[in-house]
Amino acid sequence: MAAAPSRPFDYLESLPGTVFFKLYQQPSTALAIFRRMLPDLAKCFVMALLYLKDPLPAADLEIWVRSESLKERDSALSILGRLHILSNTTTADNVRAYMVTNPFAASLRQALTGAEQTQSFGVLSRVSDEERVPIPDLDEYARRQWEGVLGYMVGTSGLGIQRDANLSKGVKQLLQAGHLVEVRDRRVEITQDGFAFVLQDVGTQVWHILILYVESAEAIGMDSVEVLSFIFLLSSLELGRTYEKKHLTSNQLRTLTDLADFGIVYQDSPEASHFYPTRLATTLTSDSSALSNPISGTLSGPSNGDTGQPGSGFIIIETNYRLYAYTSSPLQISLIALFTTLKYRFPNLITGKITRQSIRRAIEMGITADQIISYLATHAHPQMRKHNVSRSTSNQAGIPPSVLPPTVVDQIRLWQLERDRVKATAGFLFKDFVSLAEYEAPCRYADEIGVLIWKSDRKRMFFVTRHEQVAAFLRSRK
Amino acid sequence: MNAVDATEHYETSAHDPAPSLLTVIIDTNPHAWALLEQSDKNPLTFSTALANILVFLNAHLAFNYANEVAVVASHSHKAAWLYPSASQPTPTDPDGDVSMTADGSGNTNDGDSGSQVNKYRPFRIVEEQVTANLRQLMDSTGRDDVNNTSSTMMAGALTLALSHINRRTIAWAEAHGGGDTSSLTRSGDPDTSTTSMLARRSTTTTATNEGGAEGLQSRILIISVSSATGSAHQYIPLMNGIFACQRLRVPIDVCKLSGDAVFLQQASDATKGIYMSLSEPRGLLQYLMMAFLPDQRSRKHLVLPTRVDVDFRAACFCHRRVVDVGFVCSICLSIFCEPPENGDCLTCGTHLDLGAYGAKPALIARKKKKKKVRANGVSATPTPTPTPGP
Repeated sequence: MAAAPSRPFDYLESLPGTVFFKLYQQPSTALAIFRRMLPDLAKCFVMALLYLKDPLPAADLEIWVRSESLKERDSALSILGRLHILSNTTTADNVRAYMVTNPFAASLRQALTGAEQTQSFGVLSRVSDEERVPIPDLDEYARRQWEGVLGYMVGTSGLGIQRDANLSKGVKQLLQAGHLVEVRDRRVEITQDGFAFVLQDVGTQVWHILILYVESAEAIGMDSVEVLSFIFLLSSLELGRTYEKKHLTSNQLRTLTDLADFGIVYQDSPEASHFYPTRLATTLTSDSSALSNPISGTLSGPSNGDTGQPGSGFIIIETNYRLYAYTSSPLQISLIALFTTLKYRFPNLITGKITRQSIRRAIEMGITADQIISYLATHAHPQMRKHNVSRSTSNQAGIPPSVLPPTVVDQIRLWQLERDRVKATAGFLFKDFVSLAEYEAPCRYADEIGVLIWKSDRKRMFFVTRHEQVAAFLRSRK
Repeated sequence: MNAVDATEHYETSAHDPAPSLLTVIIDTNPHAWALLEQSDKNPLTFSTALANILVFLNAHLAFNYANEVAVVASHSHKAAWLYPSASQPTPTDPDGDVSMTADGSGNTNDGDSGSQVNKYRPFRIVEEQVTANLRQLMDSTGRDDVNNTSSTMMAGALTLALSHINRRTIAWAEAHGGGDTSSLTRSGDPDTSTTSMLARRSTTTTATNEGGAEGLQSRILIISVSSATGSAHQYIPLMNGIFACQRLRVPIDVCKLSGDAVFLQQASDATKGIYMSLSEPRGLLQYLMMAFLPDQRSRKHLVLPTRVDVDFRAACFCHRRVVDVGFVCSICLSIFCEPPENGDCLTCGTHLDLGAYGAKPALIARKKKKKKVRANGVSATPTPTPTPGP
């Protein structure tokens, strides 16, 4: 399913069950996790089970799904299990059954019906229209702050362009703690992780930062669960509204101040009685497509605003590997320079060429081909999208066409493969099966839930990335 | 590792699922609801049903950040918008300047919300508008309106829903540069002129390749309580609406709370939607959540409640009776329950030679097809002209 949100997902998965129990107390958290983390089929399961009084027998759920879609079903169920949303129980007559676990079910129901007087979805503050900060200003603030952070990492702040984004000490410390930058001789140097970070789309970047923040929250004496659920609360707020601060706890207020440094929320001053979520916050639980247009357009597009309206990309790539980028933002230029050989620079345009050398250089710095491609695709010029549409009508094969020229995409990957000859995957080896039959069933099961990496029928061994469910499967067969 | 071939990289650009637009048509015909509330076995009051529907709408919105809903009331004398409010920005054309953020379109009464139950804002906006507009609709319904008719304006509501879907699809495609706008407008044209019977014959050639990964996924859910015969007088507009849906690949799901409706069965059958006649109307929410919530993408993986015995009867053009055997004009395929006067077709005016029809031992009816439509002899009937599927 959605590949993008893997980062917060991985983090959440690693949390112990008790943390989930606490997290799911908040309706906003339940809603956000439901919306962002689950594949479609899993959402259907949850919704179908949500208002059932009794657990649904597993057999019933299994026949509900078509036999061709076993793989999707198993992966949906496994995700639900890992997030502690669905639990296995037995019905009265001892049939295996599923039910939605309780704090989650209750909270999600509450989110849907809004039955209770909680502050889980924020409390609106009454501010007259003159005082209210308009949405364009919020976008501008978010853009400035976020670009400031990125600029700090890439090192453009020295150019004096993003001066007005005053980064607080906390932000810098967080970036260091997350090993995105290193400070050597009072000079900021970006790390490999940092390179990977700056090329991601904004949604993923924000999540990355937030997860870092949550991870470091314990260190500065805050409860990570509280911070996390506050972040989910923020994600459910509405852009352009004002929210009260007086219902927040002291830790949440502290978080709020820190997040303001990133441009995720805006407040007139730290003492103000209300705050505004920016687009970075309100699109946290959306898909990147919903977010990419309004925000990354304003974030990455030409900031002077006279060329191209906000919401448009700016990069054109031709099949001959030439790249044209309509931008004057030093941040974007230095990002593009990471993997292209730049040729000319004009007031609003730079041109360059993607070469084997330039890609190899980027890959040596720790950037992957996927990151480059997704960066290019996210920021592709509308002209390229239009071209893509006209091609898609002639192409009836049903393959979703890519925005970028396929030759370029393939070649970038091939250049990466030249270096990648060995790949390591951490995981678990299952071996010493007595019979072939005993080997085959768990092996097939592992394949269906998508954890199988390698198998050898002859040696009766297989290798998986995750062993809990396979082990459970083996136990259930005993 | 060796996966650098022509297929792998296409997925990176298209992994984001497209949002879906759910348009719910609620049958608010007071007669039918009164009957349902008084039924002995399974009474279901309108307010309960509405509360269930609202939860269902919220669940749909919860599915995806960009999901949209629209609610239309099919009332006894008119069809009206419940959400988004048609009266809000500009009633005729709220097209251009509605904010694209899906839930924000036309936020109305937002001032008075500080003290209310804490709730996710998009949910509350939908709820407030639906209930407010519904109340307004009920208040505006006079005694005369109820007395005059016992049916519901399903065809009008369906047309409203379709035009909304068309508009949103185009707007979405423009905003995202994903879908092919020109083909959508092209295929969208006929349903704006649903009154023309010609619309249903020109449908053979469309090949819009939406329904793939890109494009707004739209579907219509009709929550129907009125009985079958009530909608016979709207046969033609209703069928035209259905064919437009078929062409736009918009499934029509039908949730039937009481009785059975002939044309709605055909609607869901023609558009590959779900038809369910609820045996326990009080369990409405569970039915909605389980059967009607999955969108087109998820439906690919699920076994759907389908109906095998679809009632394919048509309504005649002269008296709006539902017939299973009738007369068909050989020129324009209009259906009549009895030979038209003077043998002149009421639709196209062609003089039809009835031959020796009515002569007692009618051996062969010449130059005029006499046709049977049975529940099983379906696909051969040209009567409702199921368009050769696009």
